[in-house]
Amino acid sequence: MSRDALQESLSAVMDNEADELELRRVLNAFDDAETRDTWSRYQVARAVMHKDLLIPRLDIAAAVSAALADEAVPAKAVRGPWRSLGRLAVAASVTVAVLAGVRLYNQDEIAGAELAQQTQQPVMAGPQVKGPAVLAGYKESSDATGPMANGVLQGQSGWQDQRLPGYLRQHAQESALKGTESALPYARAASLENR
Amino acid sequence: MRAISLLTLLLSGWSALPAHADEAQNWLTRLGRAEQQQSFQGTFVYERNGSFSTHDIWHRVQKGHVRERLLQLDGSAQEVVRVDGRTQCVSGVLVAGLGNSRESPSRALDPKKLTQFYELAVIGKSRVAGRNAVIVSITPRDQYRFGFELHLDRETALPLKSLLLNDQGQLLERFQFTQLDTSSIPNDRDLQPSGECKPLAGVEGQAPEVEPSEVWHLEWVPPGFQLINSSARKDMQTKVTVESLMYEDGLARFSVFLEPISEVSAPQTRTQIGPTVAVSRRLNTVDGERMVTVVGEIPIGTAERIALSVRSEKTATTQP
Repeated sequence: MSRDALQESLSAVMDNEADELELRRVLNAFDDAETRDTWSRYQVARAVMHKDLLIPRLDIAAAVSAALADEAVPAKAVRGPWRSLGRLAVAASVTVAVLAGVRLYNQDEIAGAELAQQTQQPVMAGPQVKGPAVLAGYKESSDATGPMANGVLQGQSGWQDQRLPGYLRQHAQESALKGTESALPYARAASLENR
Repeated sequence: MRAISLLTLLLSGWSALPAHADEAQNWLTRLGRAEQQQSFQGTFVYERNGSFSTHDIWHRVQKGHVRERLLQLDGSAQEVVRVDGRTQCVSGVLVAGLGNSRESPSRALDPKKLTQFYELAVIGKSRVAGRNAVIVSITPRDQYRFGFELHLDRETALPLKSLLLNDQGQLLERFQFTQLDTSSIPNDRDLQPSGECKPLAGVEGQAPEVEPSEVWHLEWVPPGFQLINSSARKDMQTKVTVESLMYEDGLARFSVFLEPISEVSAPQTRTQIGPTVAVSRRLNTVDGERMVTVVGEIPIGTAERIALSVRSEKTATTQP
């Protein structure tokens, strides 16, 4: 059960959606080889998906840890603060690796963020008069950084390529059948066919 | 007399805050009814990350029957015709056998239920498609779902604009009318499907519904999500039986697909297309490996957690 929880936390960290507690849990568990293994498997799966191997980044984390281990000898004199500093450094380096990873495969989300920034918090904005800004942001984000362009649904052979579009379509069409808002699920379904 | 009116004024001012939520509920109730009562025709745009499209819609309510036709105006002329919420014909690719699940009709919007999981509020007014609109925000009370911002027509309560927002307030999709006519009723010609629109009856037999081989159990779904549909179909191409479950919380929906896999190479994936996420992961059962895929308009973390929580009842009973 705690393994499941840990895996969930791991994926949350990957999504940059982890709260303090989850991040702490993951960082604590990082001493465990199995956890690191899971993490690297997650990374590799993702990397293959995005045709971008992230393994070197893991080496950074390992290298930092190794460096810290070497450092530990002189550190013994001032044990308390150095140890905690070392832990902090490990945590920091892992976080950097996490963030680097997250940045790469969440490009579409970042593009989305740009879009949202340019529209300036649509929740509060009220009447939208920032048409051109939205268009500019939109163009940028649609510029082959979208998930569709990232090759998940396109150009890749294998399981996803065969099955995922069908699943997306079935979900969209079934939603359109069940939905209370009639036009929106239809538009979603239609937009999936536009590629 | 004057004192009384002053008192009511004061009282109404005092009760203004809770009234906001009630007002929002009333607007959503009106929205739920509007599409069953109001004829209209118009043009709307749909935008998500990586896609922008324009569509025409004709919607006619006559003698209690709702007839609707939608047509994409750019790119491929995708079309769908529906009568009383049932799809009559579609152009392009239809998921085979979708017509099977017709016994469960679409559900009505229930603002009362929504308030358990979303905060409803009227947050202002706007103008969309040349019409005055009231803005209703639907904000999730937890991090497991997305929020909406609806701009409802002041006159008819039809949704003129709908924005889907993630927890950081980032825009994930936009649905927005550019032109709407609620005064004239669409005629028969407008609602007539074109030749490209293939009737549902013709494709129905392609994917026969089969008995589900196993009972699937989701150990965790976000609070408020209920199973609204489950089916099992044999895919004609791959000859495998795909089981699917659909859940909704009254607003958002997700589907869980389960299929046996033999390929060792089938990787676990996650992707997001605008508002829709897809997360796949392998699951070991007594009958072999399955691929569990969660697809829905939910945050990717939620989808991941749901995918991790799928269990087979069989495995649950055989293992102590």
